[in-house]
Amino acid sequence: MRRTSLWAGAAAIVAMALTACQPADQPTAELDTAFSVPVEYYTLDNGLRVVLSPDNTAPIVTVAVYYNVGLRLEPRDRTGFAHLFEHMMFQGSENLGKMEFVRLVQEVGGVLNGSTRMDFTNYFEIVPAHKLETMLWAEADRMKGLAITQENLTNQQGVVSNEVKVNVLNQPYGGFPWLDMPQLANTNWYNAHNFYGELSDLEAATLEDVQEFFDTFYAPNNAALAVVGDFDPAEARAWIEQYFGPIAAGPEVPEFDISEPRQEEEKRSSKVDALAPRPALAFAYHTPERNSPEYWAFGLIDQILVQGEDSRLFQRLVQEDGFTAGVGGSMNDLGNIYNYEGPMLWTVSLYHDADVSADDILAAADEVVERIRTEPVDEETLARARTKLKSSLLNSMEGLFGFGRADLLASFALFDDDPSRINRIEEEFAAVTPELILQTAQEYLRPTNRTILTVEPGAAEGGAAAGAGSR
Amino acid sequence: MRATMKSLAALLGGLAVVASAGMAIAQETPPAGGEPKDFNLAEATEFELPNGLGVTMVPYGKVPKTTVQLVIRTGNIDESADEVWLADLMGDLMKEGTTTRSAEDIAREAASMGGSLNIGLGLDRSSVSGTVLAEFGTDLVALIGDVTLNPAFPESELDRLRGDRIRQVSIARTRAQSVTQERFRAVMYPDHPYGRLYPTEEQLQGYTLEQVRGFYEANFGAARSHLYVTGMFDEAAIREAIEAAFSGWKEGPPATVDIPEPVTGRAVHILDRPGAPQSTIQVGLPTVDPSHEDFVALSVSNALLGGSFASRITANIREDKGYTYSPFSQVSSRYRDAYWVEMADVTTAVTGASLDEIFYEIDRLANEPPSEEELRGIQNYLAGIFVLQNSSRAGIVGQLAYMRLHGLPDDYLETYVDRIYAVTPEEVQRIVQEYIRPDDMLLVVTGDRDQVEEQLVEFGTPIVD
Repeated sequence: MRRTSLWAGAAAIVAMALTACQPADQPTAELDTAFSVPVEYYTLDNGLRVVLSPDNTAPIVTVAVYYNVGLRLEPRDRTGFAHLFEHMMFQGSENLGKMEFVRLVQEVGGVLNGSTRMDFTNYFEIVPAHKLETMLWAEADRMKGLAITQENLTNQQGVVSNEVKVNVLNQPYGGFPWLDMPQLANTNWYNAHNFYGELSDLEAATLEDVQEFFDTFYAPNNAALAVVGDFDPAEARAWIEQYFGPIAAGPEVPEFDISEPRQEEEKRSSKVDALAPRPALAFAYHTPERNSPEYWAFGLIDQILVQGEDSRLFQRLVQEDGFTAGVGGSMNDLGNIYNYEGPMLWTVSLYHDADVSADDILAAADEVVERIRTEPVDEETLARARTKLKSSLLNSMEGLFGFGRADLLASFALFDDDPSRINRIEEEFAAVTPELILQTAQEYLRPTNRTILTVEPGAAEGGAAAGAGSR
Repeated sequence: MRATMKSLAALLGGLAVVASAGMAIAQETPPAGGEPKDFNLAEATEFELPNGLGVTMVPYGKVPKTTVQLVIRTGNIDESADEVWLADLMGDLMKEGTTTRSAEDIAREAASMGGSLNIGLGLDRSSVSGTVLAEFGTDLVALIGDVTLNPAFPESELDRLRGDRIRQVSIARTRAQSVTQERFRAVMYPDHPYGRLYPTEEQLQGYTLEQVRGFYEANFGAARSHLYVTGMFDEAAIREAIEAAFSGWKEGPPATVDIPEPVTGRAVHILDRPGAPQSTIQVGLPTVDPSHEDFVALSVSNALLGGSFASRITANIREDKGYTYSPFSQVSSRYRDAYWVEMADVTTAVTGASLDEIFYEIDRLANEPPSEEELRGIQNYLAGIFVLQNSSRAGIVGQLAYMRLHGLPDDYLETYVDRIYAVTPEEVQRIVQEYIRPDDMLLVVTGDRDQVEEQLVEFGTPIVD
């Protein structure tokens, strides 16, 4: 076995051995497919929620800090600010100047990112396991406070406006449906504004706005820290106390009313997309309150109707009717069915040709939807939906080298004060009956709970666009 | 937001560092951390069926899932000039059923295992694959075997799938990134499949079931394929399932070897996109492929120049100037073929200025070696990425398939990190001088011609359309 140095230190790569062929009849142990996630959960005196989940599969560790503020809660004249603020968290803190944070992570052999979602903003690093202490120190440093200049802010306003251009303004179907649908289906401003932000609002942001947002939301008592990977929990606890413990708790975060009223009438809108060569269609329904019995039933409905090529909408709209190549669908366009807290939409979308009308497609979709509202699902379909959910939960946990697990643990800590529920999700779905699915579908898949969006093509067929984005 | 939640590949090129501007005076230095831990590369078992199908099994991880991936050395490389995307259409039709299973059967069976069946046709490699709950690993092997060996190619589905591909191409042609890439490839690879990124609608309209069948018969077979199994599985049972599913596969012809002769030389192309708020840029040139002795040094040089968060180009045009959101450079490789490219979507008014800065950073590295410290940072980064690349089921298959395609030595993974650390500052300088030469670069810009053309004249006489 050959050993080589790694990370300029004592570590070794243990060589891959290409062993010769084993006899096929060699007796093997029974496959052990039981899986549960270790969870240690506690709260620091300053209110920071901490979740530790060791896993020594690979010598890497994920550190993820989640702040309990997302796209909904930005100031009214500052659309897009929560996301712009996320960028500012990379622009300098007390002991790490502009982008020194990024260089620190990269130079220890790690990767990092941040993202702004409906109900949280996260910052995470995936690094070699022995750099855990370094990352805890660095995340604590920026939780203490920012040290940024007008120049940094101006620079990131430029970067973010380029982000909006590349992802929305200069793209056919830019923002469809993930940015468009919440603005149409919701009525409460917190849920119904432009989350990416108007360019004029982004440009208007000041350093004072940045400080005020930090002071309001970025405190240990409004955050969760998750550590996943190859580490010793006792050692991690000591470092967390050392680096995060001294950070003072912030004032209590104000209450925001983010509730949505029950939708009583179907809504329908259309937009012309100057860059799009073909029509597109999306429809969305408000979903049951998170963690209610109907919510778990809706998770199964999502699987039965739209997840995978076995789903009823795929089989009908793609396989039978040939309207489209695929049907997109999700309960949380900016995440998964677990990592949000607040009103949510189940959105279905597809691209189609001009020789088929949106109404024809909707009529076919309605037949599929009406079936689940009137006919109890059979055992085979229900069992398959549960299997798909179990498998997709494992996918979520595995995502990005352990980050996916940290994401669920931090979300369950922030929103439910109970990260150990990661191990009980399968039970929740197992408890759902065909009757509950029927009742849930009757209430939540009502036509009057639906919003329809059609995209009219404004571009020449198959050629260069006539003009740039219409907004 | 979704936009900032990038895949790992994109993540390598996101944020960046500026060494000088606005740095706070550090009162504390970061704790160094402990001693590095050993990294165990997963152990692989290999065998071959009598028909030539190679098999690699790599037990990995604690999550009860099994990944099975059949890699076939075929794809668009086996299309003639009037067969663009015939391979893709064939792949679509393979999912529509076998001699004993309907399309719905395939979809349901895969879903009942907690997975899906995926068929992807690439430029020089294609795959039939899936990931399922571990108790269904052998069932997945059987399903992949049936779909691969016994496709029914039902004529009834051909027009629908053709329509889907026509719609897809129509939409792709309105995306600035797609048309930029199409032109870049067309200029670099004239008269080669790599230069034909999208078919015309007429081509797609014309393909017959006989052509689809013919493509399958000519290009699918055991001799040019390799099967990878990774995750949690019972080796003996999986092996038995593989023998049952694939022993009857015909050997077929060996993989096509059609190594392109890419065009090198400065040319400037503008694709007009009236009113576009950004210019979409690809700038690059043919370079050495992964089998070349300089390739590892080229990878290090690329990571330092434009291929990582903290790279020089990203630091300059994103974190200093704010011209762009996601600039990124990479070495894009195929069998015995590769090119280096920098890609960026920049605000229209600074199109020329962005290119000036990109060339400035290339020249700076060609004129002066990086510091030991800067290089060490990049080497640490690539060593860390290497561990990540070998720490997931998909990553492990990706690494092994990459080695196999490029014919890399068996000790490639074992020695990779040493070779990363062996690169010197002077070597980085030499690599840039030798392989990343601005004067030989092709430059494709999709943007608002009225605003962009004048900005590009300094780089050469633009070819506009």
